[in-house]
Amino acid sequence: MTALPSPYDAPELYDLVLSHFDDDLRFWFEEARRGGGPVLDVACGTGRVMLSLLDHGVDVDGVDLSGPMLERLRAKATSKGMAVRAALADMRDFTMPRRYARVFITFNGFAHCETVEDQLRCLRCCREHLEPGGALVVHMSYPAASYWVEPESERVLEAEVAHPASGHPVRMYDTRTKDPVAQRQHSIVEIEELDGAGASRGPTASRPTSAGCTASNSSCCCAAPASRAGRSRPAGSRSR
Amino acid sequence: MGTIDIQQYIDPEVYDLAYSWLTEDITFYVERAKQAGGPVLEVGCGTGRVLIPTLQAGGDIDGLDLHPGMLEVLRRKAAALGLTPRLVNADMRDFTMPRRYRLVTIPFRGFMHVLDTEGQLHTLRCCREHLESGGALVLNLFHPSFDRLVEPDGEERQEREFAHPETGLPVGVYARRWLDRVNQILRAEMEIRESDPRGYAGPSHTHRFALRWTYKAEMELLLQSAGFTRFEVAGGFDDRPLERDTDEMVWTAWRD
Repeated sequence: MTALPSPYDAPELYDLVLSHFDDDLRFWFEEARRGGGPVLDVACGTGRVMLSLLDHGVDVDGVDLSGPMLERLRAKATSKGMAVRAALADMRDFTMPRRYARVFITFNGFAHCETVEDQLRCLRCCREHLEPGGALVVHMSYPAASYWVEPESERVLEAEVAHPASGHPVRMYDTRTKDPVAQRQHSIVEIEELDGAGASRGPTASRPTSAGCTASNSSCCCAAPASRAGRSRPAGSRSR
Repeated sequence: MGTIDIQQYIDPEVYDLAYSWLTEDITFYVERAKQAGGPVLEVGCGTGRVLIPTLQAGGDIDGLDLHPGMLEVLRRKAAALGLTPRLVNADMRDFTMPRRYRLVTIPFRGFMHVLDTEGQLHTLRCCREHLESGGALVLNLFHPSFDRLVEPDGEERQEREFAHPETGLPVGVYARRWLDRVNQILRAEMEIRESDPRGYAGPSHTHRFALRWTYKAEMELLLQSAGFTRFEVAGGFDDRPLERDTDEMVWTAWRD
């Protein structure tokens, strides 16, 4: 399982199935405005939230652990003629040259901290980056009890979108196993593109159309259900 | 901190009957008291289900409980055995005893009567302050069972049936539960139904209580915040590892 790639190594696929998710953008913009100062987006990824904030004139920096995700963020920003300040760093241990009115951890990003120690390190690090009076704002799905008793190891269709070029369906599946005592979810995420007849086309030359992934023993991967938003769901289901 | 409601709590005169089937933890706590090598404080000692066997095993144990009726039953039972334990009617979140202990215990999920984080921290800090250096706090609480958490609210189900310890007649325990899944609070109504020798319904006793459940990682944070630097958890009284959501969490936390 550890040999599987991370979905964060396939940022184009990540964007393909998740970039349409925009329910939270207004919330983050309002929160940034309330802060009235610079914002730090921790685990900014390919910039789904960060680029939207920049678009609306917010002074926002980003931090992410994934090089490929940041590369894609920069490419997207460049194509829009925008400059981004984003640092490759661990959310548990980062240093930015300035302090912020708001620090955001969006879209269940905090769930990547798998232990109490990781959680505390992350929260402390975020706190240190706040101006006095500033606020850390975290979005986490609350774990419904029903989430914990879902059948184990079933491949669940989490999202389906039409491929922008071919029009073929692109589907994201998540196969989850859980440790209820450790409150941890382990996901295998697969993204595949179907052909016109509905069969899986498998990887294409231009872009891999399926990606399996795992994050060591963890809640992670980009298991972001379109029907129940969240990059990972240690925190359970959420209806939209 | 909220109030702990004892008005609707189980009638102390019925308590020993209701839990006569529960003996697994007594051996564990008596053994811990014997190993402690010094004075013991039992927080939430109730009618002495654990405290009296500990005294009988030669333990130097004091008791504390919020419920005066429970302590009355305990005094009466102890007196009948010629024992005079030091008992204090106090709240586990804020008490002061005149001495320090090698061991402080909160058996049988007593800690779960505290329904908010502030109260939990007060309780743990207060217990810690009453420990000698090197002494330990030992408490047990259930890990939330997720199959339980998805059960519909308010449905009556039979919890268990056991033989009356004196008459041998069947006693049934029925429960209805309502869950606040965000605040982790379980409210329960329990009915204990005795039967008469002809097999008809006998006396019935209804009581209500509320418990707050806590997760493993949350408990670690609570213990740390209360000043404990060293602690461990088992998944039962037999010292097996905590692995399943249906396990009992048995915590030991040391004051260094």
